[in-house]
Amino acid sequence: MISQILVNGVLVSLTYIIMALGFTLIFGIMRIVNFAHGEFYMFGAFALMILFDQVGLPFFAAVLISGVLTAALGMLCERLLFRRLVGEELPGMITALALSIILQSVALLMFGPADQSVARPYVGTWPIFGAVVPWDRTVVAIGAVLILTAFYLFMKFSRLGLAMRAVALDPEVSGLMGVEPGLIYSTAFGLASLLAGLAGALMAPVYTVGPAMGALPMLKAFVVVILGGLGSIPGAVLGGVILGLTDSVLATMLDSTVASIASFVVVLGVIVARPTGLLGRSI
Amino acid sequence: MPRYIWWLVGAALIVAPLLSGNRYFLYIATMVTILIPMALSINLTLRLGQLSLAQPAFMGIGAYTSALLVMNLGVPSGFAILAGGLLATLAAVVVGPIFLRVKGVYFVLLTYSFAQIVNLNFQYWTTPFGGNNGLFGIPPISYPGGDLISKNTFYFLLGLILTAISLYIMRRFEKSDSGMICDALNEDEMLCLALGSNALSWRIAAFACSALMAGISGGVYAFFIGFISPDSFGFQLSVDLIVMNVVGGVSSTFGPVLGSVIIVPLLELLRDARQYQLLVYGLCLLFFMLFCRKGLVSLVWRGLRRNSFGNA
Amino acid sequence: MLRVEGLSRRFGGLIACDEIRFSVMPREVFGIIGPNGAGKTTLFNVISGRFKPSAGRVTFEGRDVTGLSSDKIGRSGIGRTFQGVHMFREATVRENLRNAEVIARRHNPVAYLMRRKTSRNVGYDAICEAVGLTSHLDIVAGNLSYGVQKMLGIAMALVTSPKLLLMDEPVAGLNPSEKKSAGLLIRRLRDEFGITILLVEHDMPLVMSVCDRILVVSQGKPIALGTPAEIRAHPHVIDAYLGEDYEFA
Repeated sequence: MISQILVNGVLVSLTYIIMALGFTLIFGIMRIVNFAHGEFYMFGAFALMILFDQVGLPFFAAVLISGVLTAALGMLCERLLFRRLVGEELPGMITALALSIILQSVALLMFGPADQSVARPYVGTWPIFGAVVPWDRTVVAIGAVLILTAFYLFMKFSRLGLAMRAVALDPEVSGLMGVEPGLIYSTAFGLASLLAGLAGALMAPVYTVGPAMGALPMLKAFVVVILGGLGSIPGAVLGGVILGLTDSVLATMLDSTVASIASFVVVLGVIVARPTGLLGRSI
Repeated sequence: MPRYIWWLVGAALIVAPLLSGNRYFLYIATMVTILIPMALSINLTLRLGQLSLAQPAFMGIGAYTSALLVMNLGVPSGFAILAGGLLATLAAVVVGPIFLRVKGVYFVLLTYSFAQIVNLNFQYWTTPFGGNNGLFGIPPISYPGGDLISKNTFYFLLGLILTAISLYIMRRFEKSDSGMICDALNEDEMLCLALGSNALSWRIAAFACSALMAGISGGVYAFFIGFISPDSFGFQLSVDLIVMNVVGGVSSTFGPVLGSVIIVPLLELLRDARQYQLLVYGLCLLFFMLFCRKGLVSLVWRGLRRNSFGNA
Repeated sequence: MLRVEGLSRRFGGLIACDEIRFSVMPREVFGIIGPNGAGKTTLFNVISGRFKPSAGRVTFEGRDVTGLSSDKIGRSGIGRTFQGVHMFREATVRENLRNAEVIARRHNPVAYLMRRKTSRNVGYDAICEAVGLTSHLDIVAGNLSYGVQKMLGIAMALVTSPKLLLMDEPVAGLNPSEKKSAGLLIRRLRDEFGITILLVEHDMPLVMSVCDRILVVSQGKPIALGTPAEIRAHPHVIDAYLGEDYEFA
């Protein structure tokens, strides 16, 4: 029982972490709360459905292409909508909200309201420590770990990653040092959308795909980010693990509604007592 | 001259549903009158530079409280509505001191979390609240003259009175010193603090007022529809209220009114074509955010001013 | 009137203020000076309520005001002016003054509802005349020149009839003739209005000419306290400023 809870918790936290990373990237660098982040996740999932189920591409190729397509969508939105709103928190939030509504409605129009299933590329389970691990979620987990590692290496060692971290810390000085903000914003948004799209594509076969599927991951992402600290990558990881485990425990022992209430109470507590979260820097 | 026209338009909007006798028309008009105070409620928080997503929660508290008081304790509807409003205000006064110290995005997230917690509780506790299925069979308000005025007309008139009172209070507030103080707090809080103003207390008072408006709207809504569920008091309502304020215009009291008059019927008309409804909605919001952030009111006022100069 | 004892303020490992103590006598003009980074501004912010001190006490007219929030300090009879300009840009000067008075008097909704008679209503005319705003009363504040805007800031602080006025670099950004008027104004505030003044400044000639007593801080620590003449000759003070281009004139 306990090991099953733990396994579930770990599996679910990995998805949360990927979503949270994208979310925190956009907020840390552009100070915009991207309410449409869940819709990018949804876009990735639908892209996979088309590429894998209908076009028949191999699974991992479909996942990658879905991610890239989502990144392209993200960068387009950034260029057209969000670049002019950098730093303006409230208008940025509301514009993101509008985008979220539009993307959802387009999905509704194209695919209808019903949830659809994507063919599963992997079936069956394997046992570990008395718990049962489904193969499809294992694939998601492996994918998530790969993505996380790639992301970490990129942020730590590439010039662009370094530039992004600099802009997050101090946009003005970074500008003086020759970092071009536009490039950074595009990269941040593109990277964040890539992460969301990959997460959506990976998760598409696990449950179902529907226009409203982005709402819950978005919610979880935001809780994780608050918990771990806005703008902090290790914070997102830590927050994701904590939330994943707590959700798993509460959902198994009590009720998923109670789990949700608990996560919001935690959010309240964290914002009031320690707004920078567990590992965040002071804003 | 132009000002005259607005009074006429307003009068026409009020009289038309009554004269038409069309139930659907009256229904939409009543919903407009119930949602105007809600839109004003969020507008009040926006005047202080903060976006509160907690208004649906306050509305829900008002709705469930008044419904339960009437259904379980037999309290007369009028008192029940007031009690609902007061309980919502109490909630605001309790969380206000904690939430209002925080500004910007974090305040939005705080109120959002609060609203989610309240809503989830409405979903979870089936015993008083009926859970996800909601509360059925809320008895309508019994009012004198039941033969002369039809039920629909009565609720429309009640809604109109509610709207009128809210508008009156908001206008008085706007023009008074308390409005000046709130504007000053929004413009330069440090200066106000240095002058000795207890900024937090003003924010709490404004927040509490907005909760009162929302709570009473909730009570009236409960009796009007006869059925409430957590769905009605969720994030979607906050989005609606934001759209009303953006489209109508935040800086004037008439902005949210204009926004409600336009958006509520629009939503109803498109209800059958839900996908299109959402799309139009989102595009509207986006359009206004990008090109007309001050809302329609700014266009209207500009037109008015031009006219007066022309006439002078 | 104001007594500061053992006041310290740390930011993490950095000690911005270290055991500062001094007293300000009623109807005195008291100046705080020091080289850049000495901790003057932090000291000022602690007294005015923006930061809580890490240690020490501040007493005003016998009452302990240590660590009170800035609005409570404002209501205790301590006013403050700002280094930059804080005002209501879209309103006229007259409206600015009126608003300031209302904001101060009706400091919370309860006070608002209990419409007390405006007893502390110092006539605006006296303030405007002293500060030099009489001819600007109907001009929109945002259109005024910087120097006049700073005067407006002082006038708004005066509207609350403070007993002690904290001035944060009152002449920063002013041209020489404006500085001279400011100096005369500060003296007038003390002589005619009976206000005690505590100011933080960089401008040495002004401080030397206007203040009755001066506290010199360097690297967070108080290094000298005395009359301008004493300070001018103080060896520690000269040491602290060595290498800086200051005129002690």
